[in-house]
Amino acid sequence: MGDAALSSALIRQDVLPLAVGYALLMAALAAGLVLLRRRPAVPGEGPSPAASADGAAGPVAHGWLRLVRHVAGTAVGGYLLLMVVLISYYFGVAPVAGNFIESAFTGCALLIGLSSPLFGAATWLLERRRASR
Amino acid sequence: MAQHPILGYLVWAALFGALFAWEGLALSHLSGAVPTLSATFRAIMRYPFGRWALFALWLWFGWHIFVRGWHFLLRA
Repeated sequence: MGDAALSSALIRQDVLPLAVGYALLMAALAAGLVLLRRRPAVPGEGPSPAASADGAAGPVAHGWLRLVRHVAGTAVGGYLLLMVVLISYYFGVAPVAGNFIESAFTGCALLIGLSSPLFGAATWLLERRRASR
Repeated sequence: MAQHPILGYLVWAALFGALFAWEGLALSHLSGAVPTLSATFRAIMRYPFGRWALFALWLWFGWHIFVRGWHFLLRA
């Protein structure tokens, strides 16, 4: 493989994904900071009203239903967001070889399916232990 | 394994080194203006989109580590 081809492959396979990922992460952080500055936190006060209304203020304390809604909302939102990013990447930047999209859909769903019951069991055990003290 | 220029690995090393150096600076409290990684994540997770983004990142990482290229041990 020539130097030009190697450079092209390097840009396409390494530099571009890294740059896109970096830009996405920085954009998310910047958006978070902007929102944080608009709503300054008062020391000693709990999370913002927006966060409390959404259940981020300690969902366990508000009951299992709220916890399940909170976790399910995060999992579904994160899953859909990742699928949008991966599909955009696949069709817009580089069509990765193999069953990339299929593996993304099934593999990520498998991970959520495996981790959610474990998370629920661990939370239940933790709450049970806390209640017995 | 694919051969890559050593520069690519050095860039990754520099990025991770900078990340740990930044976190170390934040934990040392030498500069009160530097938030720790935990504080940054807490700030991001106050908002639904931030939680989705972090969950997507976690999912992407797990998918690459545990699912992509994974085979049953006894598969021929």
